[in-house]
Amino acid sequence: MVNISLTVNEELFEVSVREDLRLIDLLRDELGLIGTKEGCGEGECGACTIIMDGETVNSCLVMAFQANGSNILTIEGMEKEGNIHPIQQAYIDVGAVQCGFCIPGMVLSTKALLDKNPHPSKEEIREGISGNLCRCTGYNKMIHATEKAMEYMEEGK
Amino acid sequence: MTLKEVYNGRSVEEVVGLLGEYGNGAKLISGGTDIVIELKNKKITPKILIDISKIEELKEIREDENYITLGSGVTFTEIIENPLFSGNLHGLYKACRMVGSPQIRNKGTIGGNIANGSSAADGVPPLIALGATIKTLSIEGTREIPLEDYYIDKLKSNEIIIEVKFKKPNNNQILTFAKLGLRKALAISRLSIASLIGLNEEGIIESVTIASGALGKYPMREEEVEEYLINKKIDEKIIEEAITTLQNSMDERLKGRSTLPYKRVAVSSILRENLEELIKSRIEVEAW
Ligand SMILES: Cc1cc2nc3c(=O)[nH]c(=O)nc-3n(C[C@H](O)[C@H](O)[C@H](O)COP(=O)(O)OP(=O)(O)OC[C@H]3O[C@@H](n4cnc5c(N)ncnc54)[C@H](O)[C@@H]3O)c2cc1C
Ligand code: FES
Ligand code: FES
Repeated sequence: MVNISLTVNEELFEVSVREDLRLIDLLRDELGLIGTKEGCGEGECGACTIIMDGETVNSCLVMAFQANGSNILTIEGMEKEGNIHPIQQAYIDVGAVQCGFCIPGMVLSTKALLDKNPHPSKEEIREGISGNLCRCTGYNKMIHATEKAMEYMEEGK
Repeated sequence: MTLKEVYNGRSVEEVVGLLGEYGNGAKLISGGTDIVIELKNKKITPKILIDISKIEELKEIREDENYITLGSGVTFTEIIENPLFSGNLHGLYKACRMVGSPQIRNKGTIGGNIANGSSAADGVPPLIALGATIKTLSIEGTREIPLEDYYIDKLKSNEIIIEVKFKKPNNNQILTFAKLGLRKALAISRLSIASLIGLNEEGIIESVTIASGALGKYPMREEEVEEYLINKKIDEKIIEEAITTLQNSMDERLKGRSTLPYKRVAVSSILRENLEELIKSRIEVEAW
Protein backbone atom coordinates (compact mmCIF):
# COMPACT_ATOMS: atom_id res chain seq x y z
CA MET A 1 0.00 0.00 0.00
CA VAL A 2 1.09 3.57 -0.61
CA ASN A 3 -0.02 6.69 1.24
CA ILE A 4 -1.16 9.62 -0.86
CA SER A 5 -2.98 12.86 -0.28
CA LEU A 6 -5.17 14.55 -2.83
CA THR A 7 -7.91 17.14 -2.99
CA VAL A 8 -11.21 15.98 -4.42
CA ASN A 9 -14.04 18.46 -4.82
CA GLU A 10 -12.27 20.85 -2.47
CA GLU A 11 -11.91 18.27 0.28
CA LEU A 12 -8.48 16.94 1.31
CA PHE A 13 -8.15 13.17 1.48
CA GLU A 14 -5.27 11.19 3.00
CA VAL A 15 -5.63 7.63 1.80
CA SER A 16 -3.68 4.44 1.59
CA VAL A 17 -4.08 2.81 -1.84
CA ARG A 18 -2.97 -0.37 -3.52
CA GLU A 19 -0.05 0.15 -5.88
CA ASP A 20 -2.00 -1.11 -8.89
CA LEU A 21 -5.19 0.83 -8.25
CA ARG A 22 -6.38 3.18 -10.98
CA LEU A 23 -7.71 6.64 -10.18
CA ILE A 24 -11.23 5.69 -11.31
CA ASP A 25 -11.26 2.83 -8.77
CA LEU A 26 -10.04 5.14 -6.02
CA LEU A 27 -12.81 7.62 -6.77
CA ARG A 28 -15.60 5.08 -7.12
CA ASP A 29 -14.69 2.26 -4.74
CA GLU A 30 -12.70 3.99 -2.01
CA LEU A 31 -14.21 7.48 -1.95
CA GLY A 32 -17.71 6.41 -3.01
CA LEU A 33 -17.90 9.00 -5.79
CA ILE A 34 -19.82 6.82 -8.21
CA GLY A 35 -20.90 9.68 -10.48
CA THR A 36 -17.74 8.97 -12.49
CA LYS A 37 -18.55 6.09 -14.84
CA GLU A 38 -16.44 3.37 -16.39
CA GLY A 39 -17.36 2.49 -19.95
CA CYS A 40 -14.51 1.07 -21.99
CA GLY A 41 -11.64 1.25 -19.50
CA GLU A 42 -9.32 2.05 -22.42
CA GLY A 43 -9.45 5.78 -23.02
CA GLU A 44 -11.97 5.56 -25.85
CA CYS A 45 -15.33 6.60 -24.42
CA GLY A 46 -14.70 9.42 -21.95
CA ALA A 47 -17.33 8.24 -19.46
CA CYS A 48 -14.64 8.36 -16.76
CA THR A 49 -13.63 11.97 -17.53
CA ILE A 50 -12.69 14.11 -14.53
CA ILE A 51 -10.87 17.41 -14.22
CA MET A 52 -7.38 16.91 -12.77
CA ASP A 53 -5.25 19.98 -12.08
CA GLY A 54 -7.40 22.04 -14.43
CA GLU A 55 -7.55 19.64 -17.38
CA THR A 56 -9.86 16.83 -18.43
CA VAL A 57 -8.34 13.37 -18.20
CA ASN A 58 -9.65 9.85 -18.52
CA SER A 59 -9.49 8.56 -14.94
CA CYS A 60 -9.28 4.98 -16.26
CA LEU A 61 -5.81 5.84 -17.65
CA VAL A 62 -4.37 7.39 -14.49
CA MET A 63 -2.89 5.34 -11.65
CA ALA A 64 -4.21 6.32 -8.22
CA PHE A 65 -0.73 7.01 -6.83
CA GLN A 66 -0.10 9.49 -9.65
CA ALA A 67 -2.84 11.68 -8.19
CA ASN A 68 -0.73 12.32 -5.10
CA GLY A 69 -0.82 16.10 -4.56
CA SER A 70 -3.41 16.65 -7.30
CA ASN A 71 -6.57 18.70 -7.28
CA ILE A 72 -9.52 16.82 -8.71
CA LEU A 73 -13.05 17.78 -9.68
CA THR A 74 -15.66 15.09 -10.26
CA ILE A 75 -19.30 15.52 -11.21
CA GLU A 76 -20.25 15.50 -7.51
CA GLY A 77 -18.21 18.67 -7.03
CA MET A 78 -20.19 20.63 -9.64
CA GLU A 79 -22.98 21.20 -7.16
CA LYS A 80 -22.65 24.31 -4.98
CA GLU A 81 -24.75 24.83 -1.83
CA GLY A 82 -27.39 22.42 -2.98
CA ASN A 83 -27.64 23.94 -6.46
CA ILE A 84 -26.53 22.15 -9.57
CA HIS A 85 -24.15 23.95 -11.92
CA PRO A 86 -25.60 26.06 -14.78
CA ILE A 87 -24.06 23.60 -17.25
CA GLN A 88 -26.00 20.75 -15.64
CA GLN A 89 -29.17 22.87 -15.64
CA ALA A 90 -28.68 23.58 -19.34
CA TYR A 91 -28.23 19.87 -20.11
CA ILE A 92 -31.54 19.16 -18.37
CA ASP A 93 -33.37 22.10 -19.92
CA VAL A 94 -32.56 21.23 -23.53
CA GLY A 95 -33.19 17.51 -22.97
CA ALA A 96 -29.62 16.43 -23.64
CA VAL A 97 -29.84 13.63 -21.07
CA GLN A 98 -31.23 10.27 -22.11
CA CYS A 99 -29.81 7.22 -20.31
CA GLY A 100 -27.34 9.56 -18.61
CA PHE A 101 -24.31 7.28 -18.65
CA CYS A 102 -22.10 9.64 -20.64
CA ILE A 103 -23.35 12.81 -18.97
CA PRO A 104 -20.96 13.21 -16.00
CA GLY A 105 -17.98 13.03 -18.35
CA MET A 106 -19.71 15.16 -20.96
CA VAL A 107 -20.52 17.88 -18.41
CA LEU A 108 -16.93 17.98 -17.17
CA SER A 109 -15.60 18.25 -20.72
CA THR A 110 -18.06 21.09 -21.28
CA LYS A 111 -16.84 22.82 -18.11
CA ALA A 112 -13.18 22.48 -19.07
CA LEU A 113 -13.99 23.89 -22.50
CA LEU A 114 -15.91 26.90 -21.17
CA ASP A 115 -13.24 27.59 -18.51
CA LYS A 116 -10.64 27.91 -21.26
CA ASN A 117 -12.84 29.45 -23.93
CA PRO A 118 -16.05 31.13 -22.64
CA HIS A 119 -17.43 31.70 -26.16
CA PRO A 120 -16.66 28.64 -28.26
CA SER A 121 -18.01 28.23 -31.79
CA LYS A 122 -20.12 25.17 -32.68
CA GLU A 123 -17.03 23.59 -34.18
CA GLU A 124 -15.03 24.25 -31.00
CA ILE A 125 -17.80 22.75 -28.87
CA ARG A 126 -17.88 19.65 -31.08
CA GLU A 127 -14.12 19.34 -30.70
CA GLY A 128 -14.29 19.97 -26.93
CA ILE A 129 -16.61 17.01 -26.40
CA SER A 130 -15.06 14.81 -29.08
CA GLY A 131 -13.52 12.52 -26.46
CA ASN A 132 -16.92 11.71 -24.96
CA LEU A 133 -19.04 9.12 -26.68
CA CYS A 134 -22.82 9.00 -26.31
CA ARG A 135 -24.86 6.05 -27.58
CA CYS A 136 -28.22 7.71 -27.07
CA THR A 137 -28.21 11.23 -28.48
CA GLY A 138 -26.71 12.67 -31.61
CA TYR A 139 -24.42 15.24 -29.90
CA ASN A 140 -26.49 18.15 -31.27
CA LYS A 141 -28.28 18.34 -27.94
CA MET A 142 -24.95 18.66 -26.15
CA ILE A 143 -23.96 21.50 -28.43
CA HIS A 144 -27.26 23.17 -27.78
CA ALA A 145 -26.86 22.59 -24.03
CA THR A 146 -23.41 24.16 -24.10
CA GLU A 147 -24.77 27.24 -25.84
CA LYS A 148 -27.56 27.48 -23.29
CA ALA A 149 -25.01 27.07 -20.48
CA MET A 150 -23.07 30.01 -21.93
CA GLU A 151 -26.23 32.12 -21.63
CA TYR A 152 -26.94 30.98 -18.07
CA MET A 153 -23.39 31.68 -16.99
CA GLU A 154 -23.48 35.19 -18.52
CA GLU A 155 -26.78 35.95 -16.80
CA GLY A 156 -25.40 34.65 -13.51
CA LYS A 157 -22.61 37.23 -13.58
CA MET B 1 -0.24 -8.50 -7.91
CA THR B 2 3.24 -8.08 -9.26
CA LEU B 3 3.53 -4.36 -8.64
CA LYS B 4 5.48 -4.04 -5.39
CA GLU B 5 6.42 -0.39 -5.18
CA VAL B 6 5.48 2.88 -6.79
CA TYR B 7 7.31 6.20 -6.69
CA ASN B 8 6.25 9.77 -7.34
CA GLY B 9 9.43 10.89 -9.07
CA ARG B 10 10.45 14.38 -8.00
CA SER B 11 13.56 14.98 -10.06
CA VAL B 12 15.33 13.42 -13.02
CA GLU B 13 18.28 12.67 -10.77
CA GLU B 14 16.12 10.67 -8.36
CA VAL B 15 14.50 8.74 -11.23
CA VAL B 16 17.86 7.88 -12.81
CA GLY B 17 18.99 6.54 -9.44
CA LEU B 18 15.90 4.38 -9.11
CA LEU B 19 16.26 3.06 -12.66
CA GLY B 20 19.91 2.27 -11.94
CA GLU B 21 18.94 0.34 -8.86
CA TYR B 22 15.97 -1.59 -10.26
CA GLY B 23 16.69 -1.65 -14.00
CA ASN B 24 14.69 -4.41 -15.65
CA GLY B 25 12.00 -4.66 -12.99
CA ALA B 26 11.11 -0.97 -13.17
CA LYS B 27 8.96 0.97 -15.62
CA LEU B 28 8.40 4.67 -16.04
CA ILE B 29 4.91 6.08 -16.30
CA SER B 30 4.30 9.52 -17.75
CA GLY B 31 0.86 10.36 -19.18
CA GLY B 32 -0.20 6.74 -18.75
CA THR B 33 -2.23 6.70 -21.97
CA ASP B 34 -0.34 3.71 -23.33
CA ILE B 35 1.00 2.00 -20.26
CA VAL B 36 -2.06 1.86 -17.98
CA ILE B 37 -3.88 -0.34 -20.51
CA GLU B 38 -0.80 -2.59 -20.81
CA LEU B 39 -0.65 -2.90 -17.01
CA LYS B 40 -4.34 -3.67 -16.81
CA ASN B 41 -4.13 -6.35 -19.49
CA LYS B 42 -0.94 -7.73 -17.86
CA LYS B 43 0.90 -7.26 -21.13
CA ILE B 44 3.71 -5.98 -18.93
CA THR B 45 4.25 -6.85 -15.28
CA PRO B 46 6.84 -4.54 -13.73
CA LYS B 47 7.62 -4.70 -10.01
CA ILE B 48 8.31 -1.00 -9.71
CA LEU B 49 6.47 1.89 -11.32
CA ILE B 50 7.97 5.37 -11.30
CA ASP B 51 5.74 8.33 -12.12
CA ILE B 52 7.55 11.12 -13.97
CA SER B 53 4.49 13.21 -14.87
CA LYS B 54 5.07 15.83 -12.21
CA ILE B 55 8.75 16.52 -12.86
CA GLU B 56 8.89 20.17 -13.93
CA GLU B 57 12.27 19.96 -15.67
CA LEU B 58 10.79 17.48 -18.17
CA LYS B 59 7.96 19.85 -19.07
CA GLU B 60 9.98 22.68 -20.57
CA ILE B 61 9.79 23.90 -24.14
CA ARG B 62 12.95 25.88 -24.92
CA GLU B 63 13.91 27.90 -27.94
CA ASP B 64 17.30 29.38 -28.71
CA GLU B 65 18.69 30.92 -31.86
CA ASN B 66 19.02 27.65 -33.75
CA TYR B 67 17.22 24.90 -31.85
CA ILE B 68 13.93 23.99 -30.24
CA THR B 69 14.00 21.54 -27.33
CA LEU B 70 10.95 19.73 -26.02
CA GLY B 71 11.13 18.11 -22.59
CA SER B 72 9.98 14.49 -22.78
CA GLY B 73 7.08 15.30 -20.43
CA VAL B 74 5.58 17.94 -22.74
CA THR B 75 2.01 16.95 -23.62
CA PHE B 76 0.33 17.14 -27.02
CA THR B 77 -1.94 19.88 -25.63
CA GLU B 78 1.08 21.94 -24.55
CA ILE B 79 2.53 21.69 -28.06
CA ILE B 80 -0.75 22.66 -29.70
CA GLU B 81 -1.16 25.68 -27.44
CA ASN B 82 2.37 26.95 -28.00
CA PRO B 83 2.65 29.58 -30.76
CA LEU B 84 6.12 28.26 -31.68
CA PHE B 85 4.48 25.47 -33.65
CA SER B 86 2.68 27.60 -36.17
CA GLY B 87 4.17 28.97 -39.39
CA ASN B 88 6.64 26.60 -41.01
CA LEU B 89 6.39 24.15 -38.08
CA HIS B 90 2.67 23.72 -38.66
CA GLY B 91 3.19 20.02 -39.47
CA LEU B 92 4.13 19.30 -35.86
CA TYR B 93 1.10 21.18 -34.59
CA LYS B 94 -1.12 19.26 -36.98
CA ALA B 95 0.27 15.87 -35.95
CA CYS B 96 -0.28 16.59 -32.26
CA ARG B 97 -3.69 18.11 -32.91
CA MET B 98 -4.83 14.90 -34.60
CA VAL B 99 -3.90 12.65 -31.68
CA GLY B 100 -6.76 10.90 -29.90
CA SER B 101 -9.15 13.16 -28.02
CA PRO B 102 -8.73 16.24 -25.81
CA GLN B 103 -8.39 13.96 -22.76
CA ILE B 104 -5.65 11.89 -24.44
CA ARG B 105 -3.82 15.02 -25.62
CA ASN B 106 -3.94 16.53 -22.12
CA LYS B 107 -2.05 13.55 -20.69
CA GLY B 108 -0.14 11.91 -23.55
CA THR B 109 3.45 13.10 -23.79
CA ILE B 110 5.93 13.33 -26.62
CA GLY B 111 8.43 11.24 -24.62
CA GLY B 112 5.84 8.51 -24.07
CA ASN B 113 4.92 8.60 -27.75
CA ILE B 114 8.55 7.97 -28.71
CA ALA B 115 9.39 5.50 -25.92
CA ASN B 116 6.32 3.36 -26.49
CA GLY B 117 7.81 2.47 -29.85
CA SER B 118 4.61 2.12 -31.86
CA SER B 119 5.08 2.30 -35.62
CA ALA B 120 1.97 4.51 -35.70
CA ALA B 121 3.11 7.13 -33.16
CA ASP B 122 1.93 10.40 -34.70
CA GLY B 123 4.46 12.66 -33.01
CA VAL B 124 7.40 10.76 -34.45
CA PRO B 125 7.33 11.28 -38.27
CA PRO B 126 7.37 15.12 -38.03
CA LEU B 127 10.27 14.94 -35.57
CA ILE B 128 12.20 12.52 -37.78
CA ALA B 129 11.59 14.80 -40.76
CA LEU B 130 13.03 17.66 -38.67
CA GLY B 131 16.15 15.56 -37.99
CA ALA B 132 15.45 15.49 -34.26
CA THR B 133 17.74 13.82 -31.75
CA ILE B 134 16.75 12.50 -28.35
CA LYS B 135 18.80 12.81 -25.22
CA THR B 136 18.71 10.01 -22.68
CA LEU B 137 20.15 9.75 -19.22
CA SER B 138 21.16 6.77 -17.10
CA ILE B 139 23.67 6.14 -14.32
CA GLU B 140 26.13 5.40 -17.11
CA GLY B 141 25.74 8.91 -18.51
CA THR B 142 23.93 10.70 -21.32
CA ARG B 143 23.42 9.58 -24.90
CA GLU B 144 22.24 11.56 -27.88
CA ILE B 145 20.53 9.42 -30.50
CA PRO B 146 19.10 10.56 -33.82
CA LEU B 147 15.39 9.80 -33.52
CA GLU B 148 15.43 7.89 -36.80
CA ASP B 149 17.95 5.45 -35.27
CA TYR B 150 16.03 5.09 -32.04
CA TYR B 151 14.05 2.10 -33.26
CA ILE B 152 17.21 0.19 -34.05
CA ASP B 153 19.33 1.47 -31.18
CA LYS B 154 16.67 0.98 -28.53
CA LEU B 155 16.31 2.54 -25.10
CA LYS B 156 17.96 0.55 -22.30
CA SER B 157 15.91 -0.40 -19.29
CA ASN B 158 17.87 1.98 -17.05
CA GLU B 159 17.49 4.99 -19.36
CA ILE B 160 15.04 7.85 -19.33
CA ILE B 161 14.41 10.11 -22.31
CA ILE B 162 15.05 13.67 -21.13
CA GLU B 163 14.31 15.70 -24.22
CA VAL B 164 13.98 15.79 -27.97
CA LYS B 165 15.71 18.55 -29.89
CA PHE B 166 15.67 19.76 -33.47
CA LYS B 167 17.14 22.53 -35.57
CA LYS B 168 14.69 25.25 -36.52
CA PRO B 169 13.81 25.03 -40.20
CA ASN B 170 15.06 27.76 -42.54
CA ASN B 171 12.60 30.33 -43.79
CA ASN B 172 12.21 28.53 -47.10
CA GLN B 173 11.51 25.15 -45.46
CA ILE B 174 8.02 23.99 -44.57
CA LEU B 175 7.04 21.02 -42.42
CA THR B 176 3.82 19.31 -43.48
CA PHE B 177 1.95 16.33 -42.08
CA ALA B 178 -0.98 14.19 -43.13
CA LYS B 179 -2.60 11.19 -41.59
CA LEU B 180 -5.07 8.78 -42.99
CA GLY B 181 -8.74 9.06 -42.41
CA LEU B 182 -11.21 11.62 -41.32
CA ARG B 183 -10.20 13.37 -38.16
CA LYS B 184 -12.22 10.93 -36.14
CA ALA B 185 -11.45 11.70 -32.57
CA LEU B 186 -10.21 8.32 -31.52
CA ALA B 187 -8.80 6.52 -34.50
CA ILE B 188 -5.19 5.67 -33.76
CA SER B 189 -3.39 6.56 -36.93
CA ARG B 190 -2.51 3.67 -39.15
CA LEU B 191 -0.65 5.71 -41.71
CA SER B 192 1.03 9.07 -41.63
CA ILE B 193 3.65 11.06 -43.51
CA ALA B 194 5.56 14.18 -42.55
CA SER B 195 7.87 16.10 -44.82
CA LEU B 196 10.27 18.96 -44.41
CA ILE B 197 10.89 20.52 -47.78
CA GLY B 198 12.85 23.60 -48.77
CA LEU B 199 11.97 25.33 -52.02
CA ASN B 200 14.00 28.01 -53.75
CA GLU B 201 12.48 31.02 -55.55
CA GLU B 202 11.88 28.98 -58.71
CA GLY B 203 9.95 26.34 -56.76
CA ILE B 204 12.76 23.81 -57.03
CA ILE B 205 13.20 21.42 -54.13
CA GLU B 206 16.52 22.24 -52.49
CA SER B 207 16.21 20.07 -49.41
CA VAL B 208 13.85 17.25 -48.52
CA THR B 209 13.35 14.82 -45.66
CA ILE B 210 10.27 12.63 -45.58
CA ALA B 211 9.29 10.31 -42.75
CA SER B 212 6.44 7.85 -42.57
CA GLY B 213 4.54 6.22 -39.74
CA ALA B 214 3.10 2.71 -40.00
CA LEU B 215 4.55 2.02 -43.45
CA GLY B 216 7.03 -0.35 -41.88
CA LYS B 217 7.95 -1.88 -38.54
CA TYR B 218 8.66 1.57 -37.16
CA PRO B 219 8.52 5.20 -38.30
CA MET B 220 11.25 5.74 -40.90
CA ARG B 221 12.79 8.00 -43.51
CA GLU B 222 11.53 7.46 -47.05
CA GLU B 223 14.86 7.92 -48.77
CA GLU B 224 13.85 6.75 -52.24
CA VAL B 225 11.15 9.41 -52.44
CA GLU B 226 13.58 12.00 -51.12
CA GLU B 227 16.10 11.04 -53.81
CA TYR B 228 13.42 11.28 -56.45
CA LEU B 229 12.23 14.72 -55.33
CA ILE B 230 15.52 16.52 -54.76
CA ASN B 231 16.27 19.24 -57.33
CA LYS B 232 12.90 18.79 -59.03
CA LYS B 233 10.41 21.56 -59.59
CA ILE B 234 7.26 20.63 -57.80
CA ASP B 235 4.19 20.15 -60.03
CA GLU B 236 1.38 17.65 -60.60
CA LYS B 237 3.47 15.23 -62.65
CA ILE B 238 6.22 15.18 -60.01
CA ILE B 239 3.67 14.50 -57.27
CA GLU B 240 2.35 11.50 -59.23
CA GLU B 241 5.86 10.16 -59.77
CA ALA B 242 6.74 10.65 -56.10
CA ILE B 243 3.69 8.59 -55.15
CA THR B 244 4.71 5.81 -57.54
CA THR B 245 8.23 5.85 -56.08
CA LEU B 246 6.84 5.49 -52.57
CA GLN B 247 4.52 2.67 -53.65
CA ASN B 248 7.44 0.84 -55.20
CA SER B 249 9.47 1.03 -52.00
CA MET B 250 6.44 -0.23 -50.08
CA ASP B 251 6.01 -3.19 -52.44
CA GLU B 252 9.52 -4.19 -51.49
CA ARG B 253 9.13 -3.59 -47.77
CA LEU B 254 5.66 -5.02 -47.22
CA LYS B 255 5.89 -7.90 -49.67
CA GLY B 256 3.32 -10.59 -48.87
CA ARG B 257 1.57 -8.58 -46.17
CA SER B 258 -2.19 -8.56 -46.29
CA THR B 259 -2.24 -4.82 -45.59
CA LEU B 260 -0.16 -3.94 -48.65
CA PRO B 261 -2.91 -3.39 -51.25
CA TYR B 262 -4.77 -1.11 -48.85
CA LYS B 263 -1.71 0.82 -47.78
CA ARG B 264 -0.60 1.28 -51.41
CA VAL B 265 -3.81 3.14 -52.18
CA ALA B 266 -3.99 5.02 -48.90
CA VAL B 267 -0.46 6.31 -49.11
CA SER B 268 -1.12 8.14 -52.35
CA SER B 269 -3.60 10.50 -50.74
CA ILE B 270 -1.45 11.29 -47.73
CA LEU B 271 1.73 11.95 -49.69
CA ARG B 272 -0.32 14.08 -52.06
CA GLU B 273 -1.76 16.02 -49.11
CA ASN B 274 1.77 16.74 -47.84
CA LEU B 275 2.97 18.04 -51.18
CA GLU B 276 -0.15 20.04 -51.94
CA GLU B 277 0.02 21.62 -48.50
CA LEU B 278 3.59 22.58 -49.29
CA ILE B 279 2.51 24.32 -52.49
CA LYS B 280 -0.33 26.04 -50.69
CA SER B 281 1.84 27.30 -47.81
CA ARG B 282 4.34 28.61 -50.32
CA ILE B 283 1.63 30.60 -52.04
CA GLU B 284 0.52 31.94 -48.67
CA VAL B 285 4.07 32.91 -47.76
CA GLU B 286 4.46 34.75 -51.07
CA ALA B 287 1.23 36.60 -50.47
CA TRP B 288 2.57 38.11 -47.23
C1 LIG C 1 -7.92 6.29 -26.90
C2 LIG C 1 -6.49 6.51 -27.31
C3 LIG C 1 -6.21 7.20 -28.49
C4 LIG C 1 -4.88 7.41 -28.88
N1 LIG C 1 -4.65 8.07 -30.06
C5 LIG C 1 -3.38 8.23 -30.48
C6 LIG C 1 -3.11 8.87 -31.73
O1 LIG C 1 -4.02 9.32 -32.44
N2 LIG C 1 -1.81 8.98 -32.12
C7 LIG C 1 -0.78 8.52 -31.35
O2 LIG C 1 0.37 8.67 -31.75
N3 LIG C 1 -1.01 7.91 -30.17
C8 LIG C 1 -2.27 7.75 -29.72
N4 LIG C 1 -2.50 7.10 -28.53
C9 LIG C 1 -1.36 6.54 -27.79
C10 LIG C 1 -0.76 7.41 -26.66
O3 LIG C 1 -1.67 8.40 -26.23
C11 LIG C 1 0.52 8.11 -27.10
O4 LIG C 1 1.45 7.17 -27.57
C12 LIG C 1 1.18 8.96 -25.99
O5 LIG C 1 2.12 9.82 -26.54
C13 LIG C 1 1.84 8.14 -24.89
O6 LIG C 1 2.43 9.03 -23.95
P1 LIG C 1 2.23 8.84 -22.38
O7 LIG C 1 2.96 9.93 -21.71
O8 LIG C 1 0.80 8.68 -22.05
O9 LIG C 1 3.00 7.44 -22.19
P2 LIG C 1 2.89 6.36 -21.03
O10 LIG C 1 1.72 5.50 -21.23
O11 LIG C 1 3.07 7.00 -19.70
O12 LIG C 1 4.22 5.53 -21.35
C14 LIG C 1 4.35 4.79 -22.55
C15 LIG C 1 5.69 4.05 -22.54
O13 LIG C 1 6.78 4.96 -22.62
C16 LIG C 1 7.65 4.84 -21.50
N5 LIG C 1 8.07 6.21 -21.18
C17 LIG C 1 7.24 7.29 -21.00
N6 LIG C 1 7.97 8.42 -20.82
C18 LIG C 1 9.28 8.04 -20.92
C19 LIG C 1 10.51 8.75 -20.82
N7 LIG C 1 10.56 10.07 -20.62
N8 LIG C 1 11.67 8.06 -20.96
C20 LIG C 1 11.65 6.72 -21.18
N9 LIG C 1 10.51 6.00 -21.28
C21 LIG C 1 9.35 6.65 -21.14
C22 LIG C 1 6.85 4.15 -20.44
O14 LIG C 1 7.66 3.40 -19.57
C23 LIG C 1 5.95 3.26 -21.27
O15 LIG C 1 6.62 2.09 -21.62
C24 LIG C 1 -3.82 6.91 -28.09
C25 LIG C 1 -4.10 6.25 -26.89
C26 LIG C 1 -5.41 6.03 -26.50
C27 LIG C 1 -5.70 5.32 -25.22
S1 FES D 1 -13.85 4.30 -19.24
FE1 FES D 1 -12.22 5.67 -19.37
S2 FES D 1 -12.38 6.34 -21.39
FE2 FES D 1 -13.87 4.78 -21.33
S1 FES E 1 -27.26 9.79 -22.78
FE1 FES E 1 -27.01 7.65 -22.92
S2 FES E 1 -24.92 7.48 -23.47
FE2 FES E 1 -25.28 9.56 -23.59
